[in-house]
Amino acid sequence: MKTSYLHLLVAFFVFSLFTACDPELEYLNVDDTDTELTGVTKYIISATPIGTTGIADYLLTANSLKEGVITTQGNGLEQDGSYRYYITHKNRFFSMLYGQGNPGAVTSYRLDSTGTLTKLSNFQSETVQVFAPVMDDVLTIKVPRSGNEFASMFRVDARKYQIVGEKQVNIVQLAGNGERAHFTWATQVGDKLFLPYMSIKGKAPDAFGTAYPDSSWVAVFSYPELELEKVIKDNRTSYIGAYFNNGLVETENGDAYAFSPAAATNNNVPTSTKPSAIIRILKGTNEFDQSYFFNVEQESGGHHIAAQSYLGNGIFILQMYPKPKSLEGVARKFAIADVINKKFKWVTGLPEDITKTTTINNYSPGDGRTGYIGITTASEGSYVYIFDAEIGAAKRGLKVEGGTITAINALKY
Amino acid sequence: MQITKFLLVGMLCACRIVAYAQINPSGSISGYIKDSNGKPVIAATIKLLNTSTGTITNGQGYYRIGPLKPGNYVLEAHSVGLGKISRKIQVKPGTDLISDIELREVSQQMETVSVIGRSEVRELNRQAYNVVAVDARRLHNSTLDISHALDRVSGVRVREAGGLGSRMDFSLNGFTGRQVKFFIDGVPMDNFGSSFQLNNIPINLAQRVEVYKGVVPVWLGSDALGGAINIVTVNDTRSYADASYSLGSFNTHRSSLNAGYTTPSGFKLTLNAFQNYSDNNYKVTTDVASFSGQYFQHQKVRRFNDTYHNETLIASAGVVNKPFADQLMFGVTLGQNYSEVQTGARMVSVFGDWHRKGSIIMPSVKYSKEDLLIKGLDLRITGNYNLGKEQNIDTVYRRYNWFQEYKEYPGQGSERERSMYKYSNNNGLGTVNLSYAASEKHLLTLNNVYNTFNRKGSDELYPESDKYEQPRKNVKNILGLGYQFKTSEKWNTSFFAKHFYQHNKYSQSYNPSGSWGDLAYLVQENSLNRIGFGLASTYFIMPNLQAKASYEKSYRLPETDELFGDLLNLEGNIDLDPEHSHNYNFGLSYQAQIDKSHRLNFEGGVLYRNAKDFIRPSLNNNQTKQVMDNLADVTNLGFEGELRYSFRQLFTAGINMTYQNLRNNTKYEENQTMESPLYRDRIPNMPYLFGNADASVFFNNVGKKGNTLTLGYNVLYVHAYYLSWPSQGTSDQKYDIPRQWMQDVNAVYSLGKGKYNIALECKNLLDNRVYDNFSLQKPGRAVYAKVRYFISNN
Repeated sequence: MKTSYLHLLVAFFVFSLFTACDPELEYLNVDDTDTELTGVTKYIISATPIGTTGIADYLLTANSLKEGVITTQGNGLEQDGSYRYYITHKNRFFSMLYGQGNPGAVTSYRLDSTGTLTKLSNFQSETVQVFAPVMDDVLTIKVPRSGNEFASMFRVDARKYQIVGEKQVNIVQLAGNGERAHFTWATQVGDKLFLPYMSIKGKAPDAFGTAYPDSSWVAVFSYPELELEKVIKDNRTSYIGAYFNNGLVETENGDAYAFSPAAATNNNVPTSTKPSAIIRILKGTNEFDQSYFFNVEQESGGHHIAAQSYLGNGIFILQMYPKPKSLEGVARKFAIADVINKKFKWVTGLPEDITKTTTINNYSPGDGRTGYIGITTASEGSYVYIFDAEIGAAKRGLKVEGGTITAINALKY
Repeated sequence: MQITKFLLVGMLCACRIVAYAQINPSGSISGYIKDSNGKPVIAATIKLLNTSTGTITNGQGYYRIGPLKPGNYVLEAHSVGLGKISRKIQVKPGTDLISDIELREVSQQMETVSVIGRSEVRELNRQAYNVVAVDARRLHNSTLDISHALDRVSGVRVREAGGLGSRMDFSLNGFTGRQVKFFIDGVPMDNFGSSFQLNNIPINLAQRVEVYKGVVPVWLGSDALGGAINIVTVNDTRSYADASYSLGSFNTHRSSLNAGYTTPSGFKLTLNAFQNYSDNNYKVTTDVASFSGQYFQHQKVRRFNDTYHNETLIASAGVVNKPFADQLMFGVTLGQNYSEVQTGARMVSVFGDWHRKGSIIMPSVKYSKEDLLIKGLDLRITGNYNLGKEQNIDTVYRRYNWFQEYKEYPGQGSERERSMYKYSNNNGLGTVNLSYAASEKHLLTLNNVYNTFNRKGSDELYPESDKYEQPRKNVKNILGLGYQFKTSEKWNTSFFAKHFYQHNKYSQSYNPSGSWGDLAYLVQENSLNRIGFGLASTYFIMPNLQAKASYEKSYRLPETDELFGDLLNLEGNIDLDPEHSHNYNFGLSYQAQIDKSHRLNFEGGVLYRNAKDFIRPSLNNNQTKQVMDNLADVTNLGFEGELRYSFRQLFTAGINMTYQNLRNNTKYEENQTMESPLYRDRIPNMPYLFGNADASVFFNNVGKKGNTLTLGYNVLYVHAYYLSWPSQGTSDQKYDIPRQWMQDVNAVYSLGKGKYNIALECKNLLDNRVYDNFSLQKPGRAVYAKVRYFISNN
């Protein structure tokens, strides 16, 4: 009797010691040798289920954006952190964490020879507000909205997955008006880096307010040295782009078009007296072209631009705020803008109860006609909408179940 | 019917007062009831046979009956589990007869079921509430702090971000953060700041810790959504001293001194002082980034910016057992803490200089009087005001990595968010508790808690921001009324209702003209009222088989930063509604004994929670800040069980398990008309299956007669759980918090009848990598030693 108790006790201890050991650690080994491409494109759709806790993005892959159904239920590569942002450059896909000011891991992916999305490496980056493909790099910028007066720019080599250059820029000195130059986005124009910015007070509680609502600025930097060359300014509209929103695009002929939502505020009240408009910088001039002004607000009957997607040949899809003379509401309206000929037309075939659209991560094959934008509605969930700029119409394509589409990217294999 | 009863009771009382006026001089009886170990017996019934007079002993085991007509009586003392004793007494005019009684355990089955461990405080466990009391005195020789002692209670998970003093997240049946309220001696700890918190209070300060699950009695007045923890401190009218010091891994030093002195004339002094220090420089396995961003995988490195220390002193002086007060004590709590911040939300975010400081300066007053004016009417008043400050210091413009290398930048920057923001919440708190025991069967309780808040802050780095610091004030009042009806020894039921009131006032800056620098303030005010209610009932099916059931509709009022924002990343939302929940509990407990040496104790329960309007963050309109909103509904069907066995006074072992099925009950997310894909999914990032097991062996007369040696073993198991929603994503690619399996061993050697104690402990014996939060590794194997000296003049 007594021995059986003892046996039991010994067995229990052995069992607990055995089961209680740590599992082996797994190592991630990078295999990044380039393989010959078959020419097939695969789409990477990032989707987040709507929720208030424990939400994550999932990376889904699809062979077509035009039809079919994909789901995040039991499917998709989970991404760490609630807010993630994506960029594709040099046929690699980067998943970046927006970590509330903390540094975090960026994960890079590629398609292997079978078309499977494969993790390549993790590397550390700061939480950044701006990221864009520039030459061989992914350029990222951390822009403090208050406190620190320096923005940090990092050049991340898109194939080495490492920071290869870094520069600090004093954004208070750059603004030169007592406020801060808050870069909205980055665009490579020619061999320069163009950084449009908004002037913000940068002080609590109205950090994003400004006393200068009626000007547009673009800071021009050399590349890869990241030396400030000049700041170009215009007073016909308000700042270019918006927080986390690209407002400057270089077209095929080397001209750059700049989009202003005229959304400057002071104490959360819109204060710009200028219209929402498109202005441009002619190739090689590094100045705003004073002969060109596309007053979109007027053309649209008072609507402001919210975001843009470039389709090629000077044709853009514009996302517009829903109400005239207002910057409120999430149910975007869509329009086609031909910036060269200053033509504007509304797009038909879109739902009314839109709750979310993709802005910086849309896909276009660059044919000047077709664009794909992720649109989520309150009643029907998420679809990739296929836009046809020629007929000014959009229709539903790929359906995404479970999550809300946050980005559409494409890779080849 | 009920009203008639109250009136009748009132009339009887009036008669008694009249009678008192007529008969003069009268006598009285008072005394102290103790058990065979000399410990006070709380809530023992004292009766004068063949009269309608009686009382119960107070929290220190004292009782008093009077005024009494002189003459001969038979005094009977009785306590559940300790039997009955009667004695003849003679009351003489004008004198107070002192009659101390020792109640001995009698050999009826139920009454001898005294199991080693938690059931020491079984009187409390016999309440109708779903309450677990941890007998802290049994842990006084261990190096635990209160949060770790609570971690061994079923339904409770304490999740830590690191070592000593680190941020901890307490969850009780799936409720977390501010949804669970903490009390010390019945006083809410809401306003104590970081210097006096669960993760730094040593266990020696407490006599016991009560965990109320879901349903909170009315005398703990607070807006607790999912339960409450009440720390009952050592409150002894005797004189005692308890001093301890412990030394351990990671340069950890902890000491505590608790002393009390009461003069025969009733002057009382108490002093509690404690200190914690740790470098927390334990080793972690993590990916280390070079400055090019490249990771070196799975490096074993030491933490280096994680020093924590705090020093706290609680002193009070006053009088006890006076005609005007059983207790009137004035006190002050003084404390400070310093805490370095090693990581952000993930281990890859590493900091080298960022730190926080906090202080507490809190004067307080406590008054209690039993049988105020009339017999059975007890009054308790407390008040405190915290003048302490909290400060966040991040001013070094560097980026560190885990190899302790750093890159320094010129200019005024920071590691995360440049700040020296210092604030004071100017919290004041007042509680009044009035209870009236009309007879043995009826007990009425009225409780009120009043809370003020007026945050003031400034940042020396940005003096011009001061103008944005407009008053943000709020007042909270919680009024509770409870009635307990005791039909018999077998059955008692409590009903209660709580009224919640909150008034908020703050100014919002705006720009009236649109031109630069033109600021005006809009004063916003609002208030809200809610009524919560509940009941708790218990029935003894057999003397050793108890059934309990309870229900509460509970509320949690929004906190000030949720209402007003934090000026930085959180925008205010003054229109927040309180979170509310329907909490149901059902439990059974059973005690058994086989031939007087084997004892078995079982407790099991089922609980259900249906919570609505959880306050959760979402992005504001332009997605630049977060804003809190009433967004989520959650249900929880939980099961808990605890089994304990003991063999004489030589061996004890116990196991408890908790399973909680927390489900998302938000059918439609905000602005959506389509059913959420996460509806009814399991709530992520929340442990749902966990348990503890422990065993102790006691050796008597080791080395010398009277010396005891205790060997103990404790194991914690937490099942793995997903960081994000379980239904989403490819399952083998999901992030999870791996299962935890942590084993601790300890040995305690007591000499001189418990006067000197030496303890040795080893935590995380197998040096496992353990995580409570995703990627944030907790300490590996650690060894601690503690010496303790305890004397008491009783």
